[in-house]
Amino acid sequence: MIEIRNLHKTFSGDPVLRGIDMDVLDGETLVILGPSGQGKTVLIKSLVRLIEPDSGSIRYDGAEILGLSKREFREVQKTISFVFQENALFDFLNIQENLGLYLRMHTRLTEEEIYAEVKRSLEFVRLDEEVLVKFPEELSGGMKKRVAIARSMIQNPCYMFYDEPTTGLDEANVEMVIDLIDLFKKKVCATAVIVTHDIHLMREVSDRVILLKEGKIFFVGNKEDISAKTLHTLYGTGEKYDR
Amino acid sequence: MPKESENFFEELGRAAQLFFSAIWEGWLLFVNFLKVLPNIWFYRRQLREQIYAFLVKTLPLTAMIAVFVGLGAMIQGKYQSSALIPRTYVINVIFKSTILELCPIILSLVLAGRLGASLAAELGSMKISEQVEALETMSLDPVGFLVMPRVIAGMTMLPVLAIFANFLAMFSVFFIATVATDWISAKEFVIGLQMNFRSFELYFGNLIKPAVNGFFIALIGSYFGLKTHGGALGVGRSSTNAVVVSAVLIVFFDYYLARLLL
Repeated sequence: MIEIRNLHKTFSGDPVLRGIDMDVLDGETLVILGPSGQGKTVLIKSLVRLIEPDSGSIRYDGAEILGLSKREFREVQKTISFVFQENALFDFLNIQENLGLYLRMHTRLTEEEIYAEVKRSLEFVRLDEEVLVKFPEELSGGMKKRVAIARSMIQNPCYMFYDEPTTGLDEANVEMVIDLIDLFKKKVCATAVIVTHDIHLMREVSDRVILLKEGKIFFVGNKEDISAKTLHTLYGTGEKYDR
Repeated sequence: MPKESENFFEELGRAAQLFFSAIWEGWLLFVNFLKVLPNIWFYRRQLREQIYAFLVKTLPLTAMIAVFVGLGAMIQGKYQSSALIPRTYVINVIFKSTILELCPIILSLVLAGRLGASLAAELGSMKISEQVEALETMSLDPVGFLVMPRVIAGMTMLPVLAIFANFLAMFSVFFIATVATDWISAKEFVIGLQMNFRSFELYFGNLIKPAVNGFFIALIGSYFGLKTHGGALGVGRSSTNAVVVSAVLIVFFDYYLARLLL
């Protein structure tokens, strides 16, 4: 369980997070929804200390992480995996090296064992072995996203974070990502936090939803409890609520 | 409305603040580099890759620079010496100025452009595409994974390149002076090299100076790379800054090292 209390973050005098209080329960998929510029990415990056909050508290299974040194936090980081909006695959490594990097650096597995794990993760995201020798720039957007999810799978995390996982993808790939998020939850890691502005994604995968507006929590509850009026208040006019 | 003079001092204050905060951040990066140094074995694969990038990929450029530095020094030596000065003395001056000053500094400045810029651009584009953050989420230290191997490679491979360059420069001097123009005999050439010989000069020109320059090229390139923000424009800015700052530091420490050690 992740407990977040009174989290604040300001950039150049502009408050982006204004006293966030929330919990991520074990085994749930929590979607943080909101239009662009509401502090979603800052919030999710603060949860894994890619951005240092100004004040507040973040506890993973009761242990405070904000007071930890970077080195101490690296142990906690081994239980976390993060899928970035732009995938953040290492462009100087081919796909096989991208997928095997974590195991190569943190385990004593042999090259053959690492290769087997890499293949297993690739099968999980339904990609052919042919992509292993390719570099990230040779893949399509959907394939990159699948490789990014496969890389997270290899880390075998306890907590999974997705930053805008469907942004920039066509409809077919959005459905594929939704499928993979579901599969990931069932087979690898049950607890997930997803930030998105995609209402369709929220409806498909969420157990619980938090709506974020101007750095504050605007709504917490189940997706069924979100009314069209609430979404209208959040997104303004012109946004499609049903897909 | 503020007066122009107020704006000027405001700008000056802001520039000073940026300057000192950059020095402080550079210092912190150096301290972090020292902290991760004991983990060098953990990052050996990255180190091997950087050694390849620093040494093998720059070898042709180094060879070309070295040959022409040697030839230039030879022509200048011939041109500036009068007939009254024994040619062995001229060779001695060419030898010392080449290995102590010309080759190390010209090579370092060229490599600051070649390696410093590419290093800053490489890390800069990693930074803006969230790859540096991805390293952190994989529980890897960006300083250990990206900076430390580059700094170690810079500090150890620039001396290797300098030894190669100094040798090649003096060989080209020898070839032009003795074989191509018959300006001096091979025996006199060797006498010129041996005159007033101090072995420390070889260490200074081949090891100490290039190691210091390699350190600055890699550290400054890494610093500006990791500080990159603002998309492609930011990457370009980081590369330029890395080259300019490392070039300034190279000439600055060229003077102070010479004062201190020679």
